[in-house]
Amino acid sequence: MDLANLFTNLMWVVYALAFPFLMVLTLGFLTSGSYGDVITSYDYYGLTMMIYLITNVATYSANSFMEERIIKPNLRIVHSPVRPWLILFSKVAATFVFCSVTYIVAGVILHLVAGVNYGGDKTWALLLIMLLANFLFSALGVMVCTAFKQESSANQLISLLAALFAALGGLFFPVEGLGQAFVTLSWASPVKWIFVACLRIVYDGDLSVLLPTCAVLTLLSVITLLISIRLFKGEDYL
Amino acid sequence: MPTIIDVQGLTKRYGNKEVVHSIDFEVQQGEILCILGPNGAGKSTTINIISGALSLDGGSVKYLGQNIFDDLMAYKSRLGIVPQDLALYEDLTAERNVLFFASLYGLKKAALTEACRFALEFTGLEDRAGDKVKTFSGGMKRRLNIACAIAHRPKLLIMDEPTVGIDPQSRNHILEGVKQLSRQGMTIIYTTHYMEEVEEVSTRIIIMDLGSIIAEGTKQSLKADIESERHYQISVEAPEAPDVSDLTLIKGVKAVQFADNLLDITTDRQIENLDQIISTLTAKAFRINDISAQTASLETVFLKMTGRSLRD
Repeated sequence: MDLANLFTNLMWVVYALAFPFLMVLTLGFLTSGSYGDVITSYDYYGLTMMIYLITNVATYSANSFMEERIIKPNLRIVHSPVRPWLILFSKVAATFVFCSVTYIVAGVILHLVAGVNYGGDKTWALLLIMLLANFLFSALGVMVCTAFKQESSANQLISLLAALFAALGGLFFPVEGLGQAFVTLSWASPVKWIFVACLRIVYDGDLSVLLPTCAVLTLLSVITLLISIRLFKGEDYL
Repeated sequence: MPTIIDVQGLTKRYGNKEVVHSIDFEVQQGEILCILGPNGAGKSTTINIISGALSLDGGSVKYLGQNIFDDLMAYKSRLGIVPQDLALYEDLTAERNVLFFASLYGLKKAALTEACRFALEFTGLEDRAGDKVKTFSGGMKRRLNIACAIAHRPKLLIMDEPTVGIDPQSRNHILEGVKQLSRQGMTIIYTTHYMEEVEEVSTRIIIMDLGSIIAEGTKQSLKADIESERHYQISVEAPEAPDVSDLTLIKGVKAVQFADNLLDITTDRQIENLDQIISTLTAKAFRINDISAQTASLETVFLKMTGRSLRD
């Protein structure tokens, strides 16, 4: 039902499909002169903007958790004999499926239209990391909701966190130019790990980063879910 | 009738504020227990605790002798909840709503389809099963809110203000439905602001105010408690210098109020003194236009118990 809520929200569907497409095409076109032929501006933004959009997945989970259309029916679910962890997992799963489907469609279109390089025969590895990152940020959105209990507050914090992670991760500009302190700090952002791993897979064909990256993302997802279960109280939604 | 719910010493606090003060009551199987009270009385908190959705800070709630929190999922599977707010997916059809919520109670395949058919038929929505909820009137949404709660045929149905803001026709449909469910053996806890609904459906009433139970009984017994008094309202044309002090000397008269040519006389119900009242008024040159005797209603019971009208 949470999945149906996301897919029947026309604004979310259009946003999830069109925003990556338009963002990559616009930024790629505007900066095309600054990039060479091996790694084009479309290649760069096709990767960084996808990662950035994945950090914003958390806003969709906040929506599937607390959006006005859903919060009242949630009340009936809280009263039903459904275990709390299942309620939370359903929100995470719905967001994960929705964003995975829409972003994969957007990625395929970008590859076909703008020739964005997603790693050729290593695309499966890139996809695996993207999916796990998607799951982590879906869980993160739900965790913030369980902590704040209000969609508006949760969304504000999520947007802030996403921007912070993305900036530290070097998605907007290279942090190397800001000094060693920032470079060290940037490794605190999960986005940095994801970004570096993606670059190495796509451009070096290096799969050695795949396992550790997947392991860290999985571990962080489990921790995030456990914290959410700990924080979730059905009575907060009565 | 066996006790289905046994509440003992139920206490709830929010921070330092105690909102329910150690209340005790029982719910018998098959009855329609109405919980009355003004806003802030603690009704919703109490039923949210009974529904297992809200924790308690003291006391216990037992279902058929077992603490509900010992096996909360098993207890919840026997409950049906009609929340005060419409808890429906507006973009889905009525049928999809009922099917989804009934499925949360473990119903599958044929049993689920049958449960959905029963609930929609019971609430008179079978003809609109395939229509999206957002196209429904307020009354139809209220009925669907009930359908979603009864599809799995709960043993105990908790209805929190189920008729707020609907037309009389839908209200009558709902009230008839409540009585029918009770006849079928379902136990119902019903909260409302509408006294006429309590008059119509209740088999027993609890009146709450400021977190405590201030009265409990059938509507007849509650009325009997205050029927030791009778109120006469006498519309008069008064003389130039009206004096009603002599009325208080009549045996049984407890209080006399006079304003805007209307006399309000409170008298002992056991003493027949209307003839003396009329004689006294006539002797004092009052001209009597109309006399009415006010009988006790649940509204007057409530007013007397709480000092407030139910909808204040």
